Amino acid sequence: MEVSGLVKRYGAVEALRGIDLTVQRGEIFALLGPNGAGKTTLFSILATLRAPTAGTARVLGYDVVSERNAVRRAMGIVFQEPAIERRLSGRDNLLLMGLFFGLPVSTARRRAAELLESLGLSEAGDRPAEKLSGGQRRKLELARSLVTDPAILFLDEATLGLDVDARRVFWSHIRSLAESGRTVFFTTHYMEEAEVADRIALIDAGRIVAVDTPRALKARLGGGVVRLQTADDAEARAWLGRRGLTCEGKGAEIMFTHPDPAAILPELLRDLPVKVERVEVHAPSLEDVFLGLTGRGLAGNEPVPSERAGPPQGAQP
Amino acid sequence: MIRAICAIVYLDLKRAWLDRARLIAGLAQPLLYLFVLGAGIGGISRLGGGGYSRYIFPGVLGLSLLFSATFAAIVIVFDRQIGFFKAVLVAPIPRAAIAFGKITSGALQAFVQALIILPFAPLAGVSLDFGTVLELIGTMLLSAFVFSAMGVAVAARFTSTTVFPVVSNAVLLPMFFLSGALYPLGNAPHWIQVATYFDPVAYAVDLMRGAVLGRYFFPPGFSVAVLVLLIGALAWAAVGVFKRGEDDSSLGATQFRWRR
Repeated sequence: MEVSGLVKRYGAVEALRGIDLTVQRGEIFALLGPNGAGKTTLFSILATLRAPTAGTARVLGYDVVSERNAVRRAMGIVFQEPAIERRLSGRDNLLLMGLFFGLPVSTARRRAAELLESLGLSEAGDRPAEKLSGGQRRKLELARSLVTDPAILFLDEATLGLDVDARRVFWSHIRSLAESGRTVFFTTHYMEEAEVADRIALIDAGRIVAVDTPRALKARLGGGVVRLQTADDAEARAWLGRRGLTCEGKGAEIMFTHPDPAAILPELLRDLPVKVERVEVHAPSLEDVFLGLTGRGLAGNEPVPSERAGPPQGAQP
Repeated sequence: MIRAICAIVYLDLKRAWLDRARLIAGLAQPLLYLFVLGAGIGGISRLGGGGYSRYIFPGVLGLSLLFSATFAAIVIVFDRQIGFFKAVLVAPIPRAAIAFGKITSGALQAFVQALIILPFAPLAGVSLDFGTVLELIGTMLLSAFVFSAMGVAVAARFTSTTVFPVVSNAVLLPMFFLSGALYPLGNAPHWIQVATYFDPVAYAVDLMRGAVLGRYFFPPGFSVAVLVLLIGALAWAAVGVFKRGEDDSSLGATQFRWRR
């Protein structure tokens, strides 16, 4: 999948401001960003649901605008919203989808049975879809997208609203699909979901701010993340700043990164002139990476803090 | 293409069957016209030469066809936002197949809805001989396709299902009233007679009334020709509805939020 110079405008609003991206065959690729960052727009363009204002995108070598049907034949898609007929059984849903893609009835029927079997829905598949659990319904959506044995799978916030267990099961299916050579492109705003990806693109305000493996992204921050709660955060921030530690975040928490937090903490805690109420040290999460790159968390739409953090630097205590 | 059309029709009919209670509920409005309005006005009217109910029976069939076909089309609006149809729209199916499938399924649903009113004919004073039934059924099928194509071409363009009551009052009822379903067009003011020429429902009702009473307002051949031409034109327009869905459609785009 190759994307270059992609721009999408809605009236005066620029949802995508020039996206360049390459996704390899067989890769699991995540698009991670907060609501309104342009995830769904980029996703829709790649999945042929919308046309870009400028720039080009090719999926499996086919242009998403001029060779739309070729892309559609080769792709499977799971939407954020349900796209199954709730009152029909899972089996009927899959059968019909097969027919829409031009499979003969017997092939479509066999394919439906195989898919239900492989996703562990053999029994549930005969009940009306509305009687299934949330996790089963999402698996049914996945099955629907797999009817045509697509080479590339698009998932748009596919696990929205699922509990942790159901999400885990869902992603283990996705992983095994990728192992069989399919490309998987998905959007999410759950960090832990993005971790299953081979590579992640972080998107913010219509631009890609970083593309890398989860590990490499986290290594960008280096070392570890320290979070502090103190009796006087402003005072502590100022003091840490004088020590060369750049603090990120705001409100009731102080956060900074350091190449080796374990080594500096004992001294730091002893010398800090304000009372420390709570200390946390952990390896950087994708959330921290996002925060470091954009000055904003993934979850919210908080304004950019005025004391916006620069790129992480190796600080000396 | 044929397979895709069949799949769409099969899906819709299966859903309609699950919703078969609606068929019964759909009887309420036509029967209300037929037996309440019919009986009420029947006391002061000599139309139809055997009770007013007999006179408006063809009109009531037209009413039923018109409303059920439009309703089937409105469901598309809902379906393309959340529902199976969303997945259908991204399948590599010719847009024409989607349009024809939807027109056919809407027409069949409307036809069945009208068909179950037919047995009430004797109660309304309409005697059903074989020829009449054949003529009625033929016209019903033809007009079911016209109204369904009209529904898909127009109603399916809306982006919200809440427009149905508006469409129903602002478009369907005027079409129904102007069609001469409730009164003879021959005695109507001149402007209504002119407006009638632009009302597809009028041709359908006139053909069915001709079958029952043996008197036509338009020449029957002309009516059939108009209806057939309308199917062609509206089907062509309906394909456009799904073509339009290709670019910035409501497909997946409904969720777009820009908050920064």
